[in-house]
Amino acid sequence: MGKTMIQKIIQRASGKEVKPGDRVWCNIDLSTARDFAGPNCVLQFDKETEGKGKVWNPDKIAFTFDLEAPSRSEQVANNQKLIREFAKRQGITKVFDVNWGIGQHVLLENGLVKPGWVILGTDSHMNLLGAVGAFATGVGNTDIVASWILGKLWYRVPETVKIHVTGSFKKGVCMRDLLTKIVGTLGAGGLIYKAVEFVGPTIENANLAERITLCSMVTEMSGKIGLIQPNGEVLEWLKARAGEEVVELAEAIKADPDAIYSEEYEFNVDDLEPMVSAPDAPDNVKTVREVAGEKLDQIHIGSCSNGRFEDIAAAFEVLKAADFKIAPGIRAIITPATREVMKQCAQAGFIEKFLAAGVIFTNPTCALCTAKHYGTLPSGDVGMSTTNRNFIGKVGKGSHTYLASPMTAMASAVRGVITDPREIIG
Amino acid sequence: MKITGKVWKYGDDVNTDVIFPGKYTYTVSERSEMGQYALEDLDPEFTKNAKPGDIIVAGKNWGCGSSREQAVTCLKVRGIGAIIAKGFARIYYRNALNEGLPIIVAPDAVDAIEPNDEITIDFDKGEIITPKGTFSFPPFPEFVRGLIEDGGLIPHVRKSLGLE
Repeated sequence: MGKTMIQKIIQRASGKEVKPGDRVWCNIDLSTARDFAGPNCVLQFDKETEGKGKVWNPDKIAFTFDLEAPSRSEQVANNQKLIREFAKRQGITKVFDVNWGIGQHVLLENGLVKPGWVILGTDSHMNLLGAVGAFATGVGNTDIVASWILGKLWYRVPETVKIHVTGSFKKGVCMRDLLTKIVGTLGAGGLIYKAVEFVGPTIENANLAERITLCSMVTEMSGKIGLIQPNGEVLEWLKARAGEEVVELAEAIKADPDAIYSEEYEFNVDDLEPMVSAPDAPDNVKTVREVAGEKLDQIHIGSCSNGRFEDIAAAFEVLKAADFKIAPGIRAIITPATREVMKQCAQAGFIEKFLAAGVIFTNPTCALCTAKHYGTLPSGDVGMSTTNRNFIGKVGKGSHTYLASPMTAMASAVRGVITDPREIIG
Repeated sequence: MKITGKVWKYGDDVNTDVIFPGKYTYTVSERSEMGQYALEDLDPEFTKNAKPGDIIVAGKNWGCGSSREQAVTCLKVRGIGAIIAKGFARIYYRNALNEGLPIIVAPDAVDAIEPNDEITIDFDKGEIITPKGTFSFPPFPEFVRGLIEDGGLIPHVRKSLGLE
């Protein structure tokens, strides 16, 4: 019987023949923690090992600082220091401090993520690394500590759902809109415990930024991992960062033609229009047209879902079409995912234009996804963001958030009300 | 083991941001202090009045969203006896096992239980006794039972390494 991608990955990592429902121990290729929950991992590891324990392999552990970069309070600053000192004590050299950006993206750019690798992190959106065929999952601190002791963790082999995508996006419509459509169709629990394979011509032709967007919200449907078979330019990009061996690793995880899927869905994007997740849940999905005209107080472009250069470039094109003017009174914030992305934006001449328009262009960080970090909304305000969650209270008690694409967010900044980007760039 | 407690009942897709608000994740690091903020953005009545031994009953996908383990810890230290739901989000399920907070998947029982009911859970028999009748729930898979019997993931790992 044929195997899906996740079955092949778990098979390699566990050394066992597996089928969905089996529970097995897998060798961990990379166990990461960030400034959120990372300090708890450090404290718990030291407590469990009475301060004398050595991690199983310092070369397979990495720290990223993204939720609170740079630190905003003494408490956070002390937490970050705790991680730096632990890393030094344990001989962990892969420490990406507050000047790097969002963890998964930084790990990718630094060639630390390979197809088929089993990766852990204290971020529920770790699984966006499935965009290059890695099996990354977000876990709590106890799982991380166990992996630091043992170098392994247990997994239940998930069933796999296949999502087949065809067609080409019309101008003003993008991968984020497809993703929103999928979340609205399948719902918050629609992929519970399952792996997903995104396939079809639209996916095969998608760039890395688009693949990341797509995989980043599998969590919002309660899925375990979204996987995309690396190919073309994405594979070349990965090869340049992570080495020649990624080609062979990618080949090894290819789903068999006779693999078994628990469900299959078809989406065509030819007639897709801009979509939003309305307050206060990602699966409360509407078309932008249905909610157009609602007044906004703030828009934000960034996050692990839509903070790459291509996302910011798409927003730039919308602003350009509006003669680089945003509506008076609206607060517009752009946060690149990483320092590398920020540099690309500087080189392209974007930052100067954004600043001239009154846009706040920040350092790379998780920004609004972090409670009480910058961009927090006051009670009664309505925001729009390219982040992945709009749960009630998340960005400030009494506020509400629409989730949308970078183009829709910028179009809405231009008009000050929710706006279909096709009205500006059409 | 058998526990009896008052029910707090909630719906589907309750996320970890409302179980343990994000703003406390940086400032509250003592486990014992986490209980006082439990469910603050979901049900202030619970936050004020929940008692040790009370039982949470919920719909599908309890604990979706962020990976924060505090969303389990805050209920554990509050003394919540168990959570019965139609289903749990993936990370929450793991975190609950790792922390030793009993979680039960029992869709029929969830439909029958009303808010404020007093119910009894008999873990040995795999039964939930409610005012509307008794419902059985399946035992944990053997693998998971091993984790629970050892007292959570870390003791299980230490045992497997011969450290216990």
